[in-house]
Amino acid sequence: MAGPNQAGLCMDAVVLDGVTKRFDSLTAVAGLNLRIRQGSFFGLLGPNGAGKTTTLRMILRILLPDEGSIQILGQPLGETTQDRLGYLPEERGLYPRMTVQAVLVFLGALKGLDEAEAGRRAAGWLERLEIGDWGPRKVNELSKGMQQKVQFIAAILHEPPVLVLDEPFMGLDPVNAGVVKDIMLELRDHGATIVLSTHRMEQVEMMCDSICLIDRGRQVLSGDLREIKRAYGRNTVRIEYAAGRDSFDLDRFAASVNRFGSTVEAKLRPDVEPGEILKAIVEQGVSIVRFELIEPPLADIFIEKVTGNHA
Amino acid sequence: MRKLWIVIRREYMVRVRTRTFVLSTVGLPLLLVAAFLIPAYVASRHTGHTSRIAIVDEVGGMAPAVEQGLARVKLPNRAVQFDVVSTIDRPADPGHVLGQLREQVRRGELDGYLVLPRDVLTDPKAEYYTRNPGDFSLTDDIGTAITNAAIGGRLTRQNLRVSDMEALLRLVKVNVVKISREGGETVERGQTFQAVVFLAVILYTSLLMYGVATMRSILEEKSTRIMEILLSSVRPFQLLAGKILGVGAVGFTQFLIWGIAAAGVFGYGAAMSPTLGSNDGFHLHFPGILWMWFAIYFLGGYFLYASLYAAVGAATSNEQDANQIQMPITILLVLCFTMFPVLVRNPGSNTSILLTMIPFFSPILMVLRIALETPPLWQILASVALLILATVAVVYVSAKIYRVGVLMYGKRPSVVELVRWLRYS
Repeated sequence: MAGPNQAGLCMDAVVLDGVTKRFDSLTAVAGLNLRIRQGSFFGLLGPNGAGKTTTLRMILRILLPDEGSIQILGQPLGETTQDRLGYLPEERGLYPRMTVQAVLVFLGALKGLDEAEAGRRAAGWLERLEIGDWGPRKVNELSKGMQQKVQFIAAILHEPPVLVLDEPFMGLDPVNAGVVKDIMLELRDHGATIVLSTHRMEQVEMMCDSICLIDRGRQVLSGDLREIKRAYGRNTVRIEYAAGRDSFDLDRFAASVNRFGSTVEAKLRPDVEPGEILKAIVEQGVSIVRFELIEPPLADIFIEKVTGNHA
Repeated sequence: MRKLWIVIRREYMVRVRTRTFVLSTVGLPLLLVAAFLIPAYVASRHTGHTSRIAIVDEVGGMAPAVEQGLARVKLPNRAVQFDVVSTIDRPADPGHVLGQLREQVRRGELDGYLVLPRDVLTDPKAEYYTRNPGDFSLTDDIGTAITNAAIGGRLTRQNLRVSDMEALLRLVKVNVVKISREGGETVERGQTFQAVVFLAVILYTSLLMYGVATMRSILEEKSTRIMEILLSSVRPFQLLAGKILGVGAVGFTQFLIWGIAAAGVFGYGAAMSPTLGSNDGFHLHFPGILWMWFAIYFLGGYFLYASLYAAVGAATSNEQDANQIQMPITILLVLCFTMFPVLVRNPGSNTSILLTMIPFFSPILMVLRIALETPPLWQILASVALLILATVAVVYVSAKIYRVGVLMYGKRPSVVELVRWLRYS
């Protein structure tokens, strides 16, 4: 195992080893193994109640695992590991009657920052997120979206090497979501490891380089996102066609079909070649605008894995 | 330790800056002083003027003796209480005279008139007519004067002459002297009782006030959902300890302000009292050692009750549930007051000793007992030891409930669930 001295080579930012957490009769997380590479953008996925938040809370040392061990940057959980993590919980909240600046300084100080430094950084980030004038105002005067941004700042203020974000885009409009996404990528480029938990598959597809899919506390799928998709094969076709034709028959070739207006995504049956489906559609008299072979959308893999797991 | 300090400081600063803090700091002592002073003030106003009265003497020759007796009654300002405007000796037409006097009283020319019936020496009953019959102290003074005059009259009938009835009938006054364990003696004029009530009120109010403040503070962090961010930086125990210490420091600040203000007021009062010529007013007599025990029991009681209230805050997620669950704790505090008479009547009884050993009662009751009659040192030390043990146990249990409870929202936990929480790591 790489020690802290060899940091930067190929040390894992977060390692979970056989981690189990039970609440009475419910096993929220069961023997989970996880390796999150340093500097990666990691997505923790799973249906509601899969154990995502419990897993994140254990990484943050908010909950302690019943079994197994967790290491952050090569160190077992402790006060130092807590200070090297930044956390944006799904349950958002700030002290409503404190000023924005005071809350940020308080939370920064709790992460070990010097207060003057925390104040300077807070002012800078507020400016960057276009709420620079709101520092001296009380938190309860802010709109929900603004509070969201303040909370995001609180998570990154101490420049943590590992940033844990639970549904970071929840409640943000597209413009602000874009700003937050840019900051996340920027932090990653500066060497931070980002752990993201979300339901939004398109965000994961855009940003994450590796994922872990958990269901009922167990790992269902994990690894490099591109490799996972490749393993699923290029067996999905996307067909864009001229308006006018509402439907045409694909059932003979497709295992599943997704229709979006004048676009159709179809997952092919194992024995079907893409050429066959193209030929069949043309024969049905559909005028095709575009025909391409695509990687399966993550959402499909997600649904297939989770429903398969429940069957 | 650094994080603990940051939490304590936030709790402290956030509270001290609020309007509630300023209001309660200024308001509570004013209320307390008002509660003690207003009745005294009203009472002193009530008898603050000389009553002009007339005496109707149907016996004959008795009025001068009564007048003499009344002349000895003085107002607090040394003026006479009664000014006998006229005496009517054996009126020829009593009905007419009484009618006239009644008219004078009605017009306010007289405050009242006193009728000494013909047979007052044998059937000792007299009548005082007044617009304001509520003043019992006046009636007592009048009664004493007539009694003395009547005794003189009866003795005269038996050919015994008495020159000074007052000197003959002087009552024996019993002074209660408190012997403390150290052997010192102080003349008791009700100071101990006043001191005891005063201490009990202060202890009760502050334990309740700061306990509930701790509970609210935890509830706020739960309901605003900031708890999870805090827990990602701080251990639950640090958070709980910081909260209790921070709120406690606010209470300490408040006491400090009150203490300095009280020292100022009493210092000023002591300097002024010779000129006021009265030392029977609001008077506290606290020996120094009592202050020390007061401080120890306040601290112990505060940590005990604050942890109990903290556990309630952690176990619930809204104000209504919290108010319901906290009732038993508040009842414990109220119980201290209901047991108050037991202690006052017999501070050394077995019941009193037992009560002052129970940690939930000792913070208030032991301080009272010490003020009333210093118990043996071993009893105080035993009660302090029990208090500390109980506090440690309650803090431990509360911290466990807090650890689990702060992340639980929604349904109020049952007792069984609470017990199960204690087993979570």
